[in-house]
Amino acid sequence: MSKHTGQNIAFWIFRLLGLIVVGILLWILGFIIWNGIGVIDWEFLTEAPTDGMTGGGIFPAIVGTCCLILGSMIVAFPIGVMSAIYTTEYAGNGRVVRFIRIMTDNLGGIPSIIFGLFGMSLFVNTLGWGDSILAGSFTLGLLVLPLVIRTTEEALKAIPDSFRTGSLALGATKLQTIRRVVLPMAFPNIVTGLILSIGRVSGETAPILFTVAAYFLPKLPTGIFDQVMALPYHLYVIATSGTDLESARPIAYGTALVLIVIVLIMNILASILRRYFGKKVKTN
Amino acid sequence: MIQSKNIDFYYSDFHALKGISMEMEAHTVTAFIGPSGCGKSTFLRLFNRMNDLIPGTRLTGECIVDGRDIYARGVNVDELRKQVGMVFQKPNPFPKSIFENVAYGLRVNGVGDRKFIEQRVEESLAGAALWNEVKDKLKKSAFELSGGQQQRLCIARALAVKPSVLLMDEPASALDPISTSKIEELIHELKKDYTIVIVTHNMQQAARVSDKTGFFMLGDLVEFSDTKKMFLNPDKEQTQNYITGRFG
Ligand SMILES: Nc1ncnc2c1ncn2[C@@H]1O[C@H](COP(=O)(O)OP(=O)(O)OP(=O)(O)O)[C@@H](O)[C@H]1O
Ligand SMILES: [Mg+2]
Repeated sequence: MSKHTGQNIAFWIFRLLGLIVVGILLWILGFIIWNGIGVIDWEFLTEAPTDGMTGGGIFPAIVGTCCLILGSMIVAFPIGVMSAIYTTEYAGNGRVVRFIRIMTDNLGGIPSIIFGLFGMSLFVNTLGWGDSILAGSFTLGLLVLPLVIRTTEEALKAIPDSFRTGSLALGATKLQTIRRVVLPMAFPNIVTGLILSIGRVSGETAPILFTVAAYFLPKLPTGIFDQVMALPYHLYVIATSGTDLESARPIAYGTALVLIVIVLIMNILASILRRYFGKKVKTN
Repeated sequence: MIQSKNIDFYYSDFHALKGISMEMEAHTVTAFIGPSGCGKSTFLRLFNRMNDLIPGTRLTGECIVDGRDIYARGVNVDELRKQVGMVFQKPNPFPKSIFENVAYGLRVNGVGDRKFIEQRVEESLAGAALWNEVKDKLKKSAFELSGGQQQRLCIARALAVKPSVLLMDEPASALDPISTSKIEELIHELKKDYTIVIVTHNMQQAARVSDKTGFFMLGDLVEFSDTKKMFLNPDKEQTQNYITGRFG
């Protein structure tokens, strides 16, 4: 067998595997759309569940998930970005920073149900926030913190040092350099981290199980101390523990479809943002 | 005037500069030449304390800029870097507009007056012989300029904060011959108002632009004298060999 043929075969194997992955992805998507699109209508999106969750809509769960996305980002983003700035721009590469990095990575590997337990113990009970948007947001925020830190660190490290030295050589302080040169350049990639975190947060069930999610709560929240329904948990509930599982099945697929679409919209929104800012701070 | 007295400099254990003393007068151009790795850039970076950014470095001796030891206690490094500007080997404009690049040094120093900034930006671009080429596209990204224009933009950016000293580390090594000669002409012009120190690997360039030349080797300052003398009739054989290209 010639070298050339060998290379060709390898190429085709890689290509085939790539296509299989894409195929599986499209299959899942198609499956959900096929089964879920039937129940989606205006009523489904804007009304509360009825008939022991075999009828009506999922509006409260949509609102709840949006609240949790927003809340957890407000928690995780400032903390994550600031600690990434600290570790990459200020702390050098000493023991402390390496320790922080290892701990951050470990934090990212902890199963999400553990975060749920921790959140219940600290936010719900000890701090007395009860089952609430606040407790859920903090729990989800902690969960994605490692992701935010990591992606922000990568974004900052991708900025060549020549821009930093250029700024410092003009008499700018380190903080000014970070604020005026480094962060604007890193922003598009930091936003990518935000996208990933939102995807993660909106799909998690375990962390909200004991901290915020309501089984059935048609009333919309009025404050951060209210409980809410949430899409992934709602999906879990109607798929496993309703009064009439069979007739709730289409609603389950509909819910899954909405969840996917929300994540998709977030991604598109973020990539538009990213492109917009990417143009503004264009690097060569 | 800038001056170094008995400078020894270490990167951790590595002795990069060995007992260097020299004096550079105001409104002159001093060139540093020498084989790669001999410490030219390291020595240059002492004068705006850019070496401070490298962990594990150590310095003994005195560095004096305009009568003041810049490594003394209580020296404000940010202020020093306004006074001692630097131009790097590779043009490194910020991903901002041409105007904002030049205005940057003013903005970080708290200047907010728009009229003043506009005036200083124009002055600086003119000073860097770039104004005529960019005056109609100040709002455009700096990356739309050619390499040579970008380097002159970086010079303008340094001039905008009114330094007294300009350090240039191989400012033309990434440029084509025409851009290079533009930068050289510019150095001639700038000499009237600034004290200039330039590192170069190009002997002709050193001979063309500088008044004095220092020849470095392995962390030693082998010879330091008038450029004319250095290139016609150097004292040391090592210098002669390097200049005539017999090694290095
Ligand atoms: N950040 C650093 N850490 C450790 N050693 C360094 C560092 N920078 C430079 N050195 C060493 O110090 C010596 C002098 O380096 P320097 O960059 O000043 O040389 P140079 O004369 O500017 O060379 P070139 O002409 O290639 O730019 C070299 O041997 C180099 O390996
Ligand atoms: Mg060098």
